[in-house]
Amino acid sequence: MQTENKKVLLSIRDEKQYFPIKKTGFREEQKYVKANDGISIDIYEGETLGLVGESGCGKSTFGRTILQLYPQTDGEILYEKDGQMINLKELPAEQMRELRKDLQLIFQDPYSSLNPRMTAGQIIGEGLVAHGKFKKGDPALRDYVMDVMKKCGLDSYMYGRYPHQFSGGQRQRIGIARSLALNPRFVVCDEAVSALDVSIQSQILNLLSDLKEQEHLTYLFITHDLSVVKYISDRIGVMYLGNMVEIAPTEELFARTLHPYTKALLSAIPTTDANDKRERILLEGDIPSPVNPPSGCKFHTRCYQCQEKCKCETPVLEDKGNGHFVACHYPLEA
Amino acid sequence: MHKGKFLVKRLIYIVFVFFIISILMFGIYKSLPGDPVRMMMGDNVKPEVWQQQYDTIKESLGLDKPIPVQYVRWMGNMLRGDFGYSTEYRRPVKEVIGVPMRNTVTLNLVSMFIVFIIAVPLGIAQAVKKNGVFDKIVQVVTIVGYSVPSFVIALLAIYVFAIRFPIFPISGVKTAGFTGTGMEAFLDSAKHMVLPVLVLSVGGIGSIARYVRASMIEALRMDYIKTARAKGLKEKVVIYVHAFRNALIPIVTVTTVWLISLFGGSIVIESIFLWDGLGKMMITGLNQRDFSVVLAMQMFYVILSLAGNVLMDIAYTLVDPRVRLED
Repeated sequence: MQTENKKVLLSIRDEKQYFPIKKTGFREEQKYVKANDGISIDIYEGETLGLVGESGCGKSTFGRTILQLYPQTDGEILYEKDGQMINLKELPAEQMRELRKDLQLIFQDPYSSLNPRMTAGQIIGEGLVAHGKFKKGDPALRDYVMDVMKKCGLDSYMYGRYPHQFSGGQRQRIGIARSLALNPRFVVCDEAVSALDVSIQSQILNLLSDLKEQEHLTYLFITHDLSVVKYISDRIGVMYLGNMVEIAPTEELFARTLHPYTKALLSAIPTTDANDKRERILLEGDIPSPVNPPSGCKFHTRCYQCQEKCKCETPVLEDKGNGHFVACHYPLEA
Repeated sequence: MHKGKFLVKRLIYIVFVFFIISILMFGIYKSLPGDPVRMMMGDNVKPEVWQQQYDTIKESLGLDKPIPVQYVRWMGNMLRGDFGYSTEYRRPVKEVIGVPMRNTVTLNLVSMFIVFIIAVPLGIAQAVKKNGVFDKIVQVVTIVGYSVPSFVIALLAIYVFAIRFPIFPISGVKTAGFTGTGMEAFLDSAKHMVLPVLVLSVGGIGSIARYVRASMIEALRMDYIKTARAKGLKEKVVIYVHAFRNALIPIVTVTTVWLISLFGGSIVIESIFLWDGLGKMMITGLNQRDFSVVLAMQMFYVILSLAGNVLMDIAYTLVDPRVRLED
């Protein structure tokens, strides 16, 4: 609905990320885990794009590949800067390093993502020094870091404390303060609230939405928690086994679900409504191996309305109006 | 504040352990077969005066008193800095032990320095390019260096560098009859040191490089390394500041243990290279029932390992802020 008048921040075309697996035999052919197998999507400035899917479907890989934390296998990731589209894959390491201040990441696990040997102040301030915004030991740096900490709900006396002296929620706030200190434009929140308990989750989610308004951020919000994604996202992308199967604005996705997999996912959201008449769709079997994904539509092995065509022909993302894209031969209600 | 209290507690504990071990040691050496007085007298004493002389020496050494009294005297003298009288060298232990102690400490410090400047960068380079060609080759070399016994390496080194290609002297601390001073003397002893240092370093490099590699791989896998990269830090900073500082914790443990064993373990190397050091002295002392020397050295090792453990605890706090010295 708003796609035309919005500015594209990241344009991703046919992004692929494969990881080699260790060969067991001597003359065995090299096999790959196809974590992302051809993803195309545009991310608009100022939006929150939610990304959902089962464990192991490649959500986190997608977020990290955008930030070039893995050597990208194939495809284009174009980043808009000063009216130019920059292909991140082709960028030399040094220039990519400089661009990192624009593209930031908030990690899932606030326990392992903070260096245990640095104080909160050092963790937050280090990136600023690395990008030459401040000199090391500059008193202005200390003030700036404390300012960012305050914005993220941390008190200034916490400046000199080590990560192990904080609670999980506070640690996640340090992680957020760390990424926002650099004034990024785009932040990947990789399961940013999954490791926290529910009351802290809502605090952090509110903090993230407030910061988004203040700092004009764009989020890629990766989660497997559908209630969270519904709450925070403008648009939602659904992933299955390394592919994007459905992309739609949040309201639209919940009101008019087109992909059978999305339908099954949504039916799994727990509810407190006793009169809820939704049918619970149970998917059978496990997610297939990303090493040898099924032919045709990758979902056909578990789909409850699979047809012959699904087994041999790979569906592509098609526009169904209202900014709603789906990759299915037989979409629901269409 | 915590540190002070901790140190006082640890010192009291050390003193306690020190005395218990000293009693055990003293008892063990006293109950060993062999008579130091007889060893000292030799065979050229006339039979008529033998018993008289024997008693005189025994009395002068204080060996006629009961063992607990001997212990108290020995301990009292030790604490005053008098380590007893060497029956083998017929001089006070303190005078006898000075030169070998200096030789051993120099040898070990030099080889430790060499082990560190080679093993640490080697281990880091291996971990950064894990499973690469370089890593695999070094892995094989280090496991060989680590597992081949040091006397085998010593004999090999002597054969290659002293016999086939006589670059370095076979053994000794300095050239016999050498009288040069200053730079010349330094070069002479440096030349003698090369082979023992080489042999001591090979094993050390092997094990330390493997430990550095393992703990670096562990550290580089952590999420905060990704955080550091995502911040846009230079790769050098990521490796040396973020990863290596975290990898130091297990390295500190291994290093301390290894450092302590280095002083005792060089007995073999010192015997092979006729290095006039503590190890060689220990063997001679044991063979000659020169218990004053042996006991003094045993106590040196005891103090070394007790002090090493305290140093290790303090090093942990420097390396890892999560470690606090408490209770």
